[in-house]
This record gives sequence, C-alpha cells and structure tokens, in this order.
Amino acid sequence: MTGAKQSVDDLALFGGPVTFGAPRSIGSLADPDPEKVLEYSRIFYDRHWYTNNGPVNQMLEARLAEWHQTERCVTFASAFWGISLAIRHLALPGRTEVVTPSLTYRRMGEIIASAGMIPRYCDVDPDTLAQTAETTAPCITEETALVLGAHPTVNCCDAAGLERLAAQSGIPLLFDSVESAFETVGGRRVGTFGRAEAFSIHATKLINGFEGGYIVTDDHELAGSLALMRGFGIRSEDEVVSFGINAKLNEVHAAMALASLDGLPDLVERNRARYVAYRDRLDGLPGIVPREFDPAEQTSFKNVLVRLDDDWPFSRDDTLAILQAEGALARPYYSPALHEHKTEFETRFSHLPIAERVSRQFVLLPCGDQMGLGDIDVLVDLLHFMVDNARPIADELARMGGLEIHTGYDPVAVNPAKA
Amino acid sequence: MKTSATEFSILGGSREFHTELPVGQLYFPAWERYEQAMRGIIERRYYTNHGPLVKELEARLEDFLHVRNAVTVSNATIGLYLVELGLGLKGRIMMPSFSFIATAQAAVLAGLDVTFCDVDPSTHQVTPATADRAVEAGVSAICPVNLWGGSTDIGALTDWANDHEVALFFDSAHGFGVETRAGKLGTFGRAEVFSFHATKVLSATEGGCICTEDDDLAERIRNMRSNYGIRRPLQVPLTVNARMSEGQAAVAIAGLDELGERIAHNRAVFDAYRSAVSGLPGIRLLEPSNTTWSNYQSAVLQVSEDEYGMSRNSLWSVLRAEGVLARRYFKPGIHRSVPFEERYPQYLNHLPTTDQLCDTVMQLPIGSLVTSDDAGRIGQLVVGAHQHADALRAHAG
Repeated sequence: MTGAKQSVDDLALFGGPVTFGAPRSIGSLADPDPEKVLEYSRIFYDRHWYTNNGPVNQMLEARLAEWHQTERCVTFASAFWGISLAIRHLALPGRTEVVTPSLTYRRMGEIIASAGMIPRYCDVDPDTLAQTAETTAPCITEETALVLGAHPTVNCCDAAGLERLAAQSGIPLLFDSVESAFETVGGRRVGTFGRAEAFSIHATKLINGFEGGYIVTDDHELAGSLALMRGFGIRSEDEVVSFGINAKLNEVHAAMALASLDGLPDLVERNRARYVAYRDRLDGLPGIVPREFDPAEQTSFKNVLVRLDDDWPFSRDDTLAILQAEGALARPYYSPALHEHKTEFETRFSHLPIAERVSRQFVLLPCGDQMGLGDIDVLVDLLHFMVDNARPIADELARMGGLEIHTGYDPVAVNPAKA
Repeated sequence: MKTSATEFSILGGSREFHTELPVGQLYFPAWERYEQAMRGIIERRYYTNHGPLVKELEARLEDFLHVRNAVTVSNATIGLYLVELGLGLKGRIMMPSFSFIATAQAAVLAGLDVTFCDVDPSTHQVTPATADRAVEAGVSAICPVNLWGGSTDIGALTDWANDHEVALFFDSAHGFGVETRAGKLGTFGRAEVFSFHATKVLSATEGGCICTEDDDLAERIRNMRSNYGIRRPLQVPLTVNARMSEGQAAVAIAGLDELGERIAHNRAVFDAYRSAVSGLPGIRLLEPSNTTWSNYQSAVLQVSEDEYGMSRNSLWSVLRAEGVLARRYFKPGIHRSVPFEERYPQYLNHLPTTDQLCDTVMQLPIGSLVTSDDAGRIGQLVVGAHQHADALRAHAG
C-alpha cells in the first residue's frame, strides 16, 4: 500500500501509484481454516466418494437445515441452478411469469429464463430498497406463476408481508436470500419464510464453498423433488423419475463450506468491526450516507452500502472510476436495474422509478476479510482527499474527457477473482 | 475360482469380494498432492471466477488436445446446454437414445425437441446409417456420443452432417484422451464436450470442458458461462453460472499429470478381462471402436442369453452378490425414460438395437479401485457362472 495522496496527480486514475496493490473487493472471500478443510476432505477421500450426494454433502445439508431451523436442505452446484430448478417445481402450471424486484442480483432474469419463464420486474420501497407487498401486488396477474422475493444486501425485505400477499393471492413464494443467510426478520430466522429460500456458497458470500448454493424448506415434497432434479431425476440405479440436470455439489466444495461454517462466528465479529469502523469514519464526510444495519435483528454485517447524495462532489461513475483505479473495487449497487438490461430473452415491467433512482445512487464499498481495519482508514482518507480536492480532480476529469477516461476500465479484467 | 454352483454367493457361498468393486474410474490425486493444492488455494485467497488454476487447466487442455479453445465448465450437462445455445440451435436435435440421460436433458433445457436415432449393434455408436433412418424435417443438429472409450466414425459423420446441412457436435463425455485415426477427440465437429465427473478418467469431482476450433463459438460460450474469463463482451442468449472452481481445477490438473498412468492401469485391467473371458460362448467384451488409443473408460460386456446360458440380468445378479457392482447402463434407454417416453411415443419399439443393447449390456468395474487381479477374478466368475448356468439361473432370475 502506498502513502497518502499529496496532490491530484497522485491519484492512480491520473497515473499516480495504486493505493491497494492487492485489490480489495466487495466479496466476503473469508479464508477457511485449512486444517478444517482437510479434516472434512478426509471423510470423502477415505471413502472414495467425491460427488453424487457424498458423505460431506450430507453433513453440510444437515448442518444448514439446523442452522436455518428448517426441516430440509438441498445443496446445488450453484444458487443459479438451485433457484432455476425450484422455479420449475413451484411455478403454477400453465402460467408464464415470475415476479421479482428489478433491484436485485444481476442474473435473476437469466435464472427465471433458464427455467422457461418470463421475468416480470416490480419496484422497490425507497426506504428499505426492498420489494414490499405493495410494490409486488400490482404485478400479480393471471399469468403470475411464482413470486421470487429477494432480500437487499443490507437488512431484509418484509418477508412476512410477502407471505401474506402469497396467502391472499394463492401464488407460491420463493425467496432469493443469498445476501441474508445469517439474518433474522422480526426475530424469525431467514430460511423459514415462503415455500423455500435459496442461498449461495460462492466464495464472495458469507459461507465460502468455492461455488455452490442451497435451498432450505420445510416442504419434504419440494426437497425430494429438488434432490432428484439436481441429479438427472435419477431415483435409483436404473430409474429416472423426473426431469433433471446436473446441479450436484461436489465433496471438495462441501468440505470447504463446512469449514467456512465453523469459522462463521468469528467472521461475523470481524464484519461487525469493519462495519463499525466504516460507520464511524464516514461520519462527517459530506454526501456519503451508510446504510445502517437494524440493531434489533441478527445480521452478518457483511455488506457496506452507501448512498451518494447531492453533497458528494462527484458523480457515482466518476467516484467508482477513481476508487477502482486505486484497487478499491467498489461497485455500483444493482446497476443498471434489471429492467434496464438489454437481453435476448423476454422481460416484462412497467414504470419502476424507485429502482431506477436507487440503481444510480448507491455504491457497495470494499468489505470482507481482504479489507483490514487499517484499509478502511486508508479508504476513508482517500474519500476525504477527494472532497478536499474536488475542484482540481473535477478539472482533471474534464480535461481527460470525463467519463470517457474510464469507460474502458474493467475491474474484472484487473482482478477477476475478487471482483 | 469357484468350482461348484454352491460356491457362488447367490447360492450361499462366500462372497468373492468383501470390499465392493464399483464401476466408474474414481481416480483422485494422492492425499499429499490434494493437501498441497488446497493449502495453495487458501494461501492465494483465490477460490473461483476464472482463477489461476482454471487458466492453467484450460491452457494445458488446449495443449494436450491440440485444440484452439478448451472452456472448462461446472459439469458436462451444462456444457452440452451451452454448446446448444451457443450454436443458436432451433427445432430438433438428433442424438442416440443409447446414451446417458443427460445428453437429452441438456437439449430439453436448451428448449430443443429431440429426435432419437439408433446405434450400430457392433460398435454401439451412431453411424450415418442409423442417422439416415431417423432423420426428419426440422433437425438442425446432430449430437453423436463417443461412447465407452471408443469413438464414432468421425469422418463419416462429418460427411453426413455436411450432406444434410446440420450442425455437428459431439458428446465426448466418455472420451477424454481417446485418439482416432484423424487425431485426438476434442477437435471434431463444431464442438466436443468432455466430462470430468468423478467416474471419468480425468476427474474434477464434477466438471467438464467444451472444446472447439471455432474462436467465435468459444467466446460466445465463455460469455454464457460467467462474466469472468471472457475475452470480449458479447450479446448472448443468457449468461448462467457454469464456472469451474479452483478446487475442481486443482483436482483435474493433478489428474492430467497422472493421466498416462491411469490409462495404463485401465488398459491392464481391460486386458485381464479380455484374457479371462476370451472365447467364452455368448460373452463379448466390447473393444473400443474406431480408436488408435483408448482411455479404457469402460469395460462393456454383452451377453447373448442363448449361448451363454443365462441373461444379462441373471449374470448381473450373480456378480452383484459377489461384491461386483456391475452396472446396466443404459437401462432403460432415454426414449423409455421420463419425460421422453410420453413426449415422443413414436420411438417406442422403433429403436431395436438400442432396446436390445439395453437388455444385454453391462459394465464391469474398471478404474482406480480395481486391480488386474480383481479383473481376472471377475472374469473367472463370468466363466464359472457360464459353467453352472443352469443351477445359478434358478436363483438369479
């Protein structure tokens, strides 16, 4: 890491030294204890059972079901395919649309399309950044096969409100709870809402299982169907009983996930310290407003989300360009909104003003285990430097052609693993 | 060697193998190698999203297979699906019903209709003749399966696809390391898809790889696999998650280092089977077809009931009782499985070779957990079961 910036020329975007030599991302990227990974690996290794619902996967499923206080857990090669298969099972027959917020995971439309359905995007609430029963209800029509609720990255949506809507309308409710694995809503554990809830164990998520995902539910029939569909629909050696694909979680990933679960309490404490440091240090910086975690709920403190207000002297995109050039891989929050994506598959939506506004206003700051407390000081100092030198930086940006200078800049190309 | 019928386990004798012997390669790196790889990954803190090990694996695969593009994926089923989307296929895709069900499930996932063709009774492979009998209006592609560690007749099928103006790509899930007169599998058709499932000779526990000489197709597939590892952004039908992780890549890289030894071991096991059952009436050990070098992925036994003295199913029961976990792939054929049986009833009783093979073929254990000595003893069981067929048949059904 290089020293503090003295002049505008010291910004990496303008040719100065990069602040974070090893880029800092918005992913959790928590390192599990290697001894634990090896201990769990020994279980499958000794039995020569490397995938196909192996012994470590079975341990992981039991543990996750208990953790979420649900009857069942079914793991997958990724949350993408887990949700896709759950949509196939839960969608009301003969109907074509799945309602989901426009402000969520950038591949949610693809997940819905991969299940042969059409996404219908709903708006979000300006205060919670989440869909509510009120923003969802107008999208429910004769074509609605499923509501796919999604929690935002900080705090949760009103899951109970969506449950009531589902009960009234008779539409099945599935949750994408990828960002909320640790949370409670009204004291009730995330995982227990709707017909089922889906989670990711991608390395950037709270539980690092390399790649993977899981669905928890109290519905034994659903769990049984998902377990079949992830393994080609094969029930016994010579018997295929349903449609299926390969979406099985392998044992190496399961071992990694179990080791990560062992380290979770410590990780949440480290996340809390990071969150508190950010919140305290950002206090007093004009125009950057952190989203606060609800102190009444259990939370992982994983994501650091801030709103850039009019007081902040740079556009959101210029801010990102400056930070990313320094190796601080801040990312725009769910931007563009899903209904603004150009896709080859069909999407449906009406006017979604809140999603559009929020998608232009918010930024996720680097978090997770690659972001030490000292790094947070350095990053906030950099933000102060930007405020203190706003005019010359703006001049330099303008001289270099404003946005033109960074449209070709791709943090993914700089560090694909950690973006 | 069992010298009387009552020595067979199914008639109360002691089991030949106390540790059951599975079908499926199940090779895995030595523990020390695995441990070193996992520690390395955690030290690098790079777990997925096209990391250094995935890049290394793809480069090594391209080098080993002499192919321009090796695109690793989370598994071969998703690999087939990505090829189908990447080629922009519409309408119907022709494929053998005598294959693992995933071949057809990938097509369903890609929104395609399936035309099933039969296979050659001698090689078990798709041929121009079996394709001719099945081809119909609307077929836009053919996906032959390079089965059992053998190969289809690539040149003949390439001509057939050209003549019929349909896209050709191969399900080479079984075929990693296989060489034909025209070169290694991996470069043929528009693309080939290999499986790196634990049961294959090169394992990533789960995983697969799409190989193609077509740079544009490869780039479309990279764009559909993930946001990571793309070389230029393209508008594609959709981007899914089909990434291989660093953990999977580490297992596969170690496997590539050992591939020669693995194939040599398989070959010794296969040779032991051949020696043991050679000349036995009604028993045929399928030699890998159309290859100059096989990976000996499978030891496939075909049973002619009349000559051998009992059916495939009876022999299977006899062997299972001895701790030999022989398998009856592909029983039932895909055209008799959900949802294809209901969706395409026209194929019932119209794929005679497939139906016959599904009733007469089984796979014997081969791979890391089987020794040549084991294979010899299994072969002796097959010989002994023939000699005592009358007594065993009554109990084996």
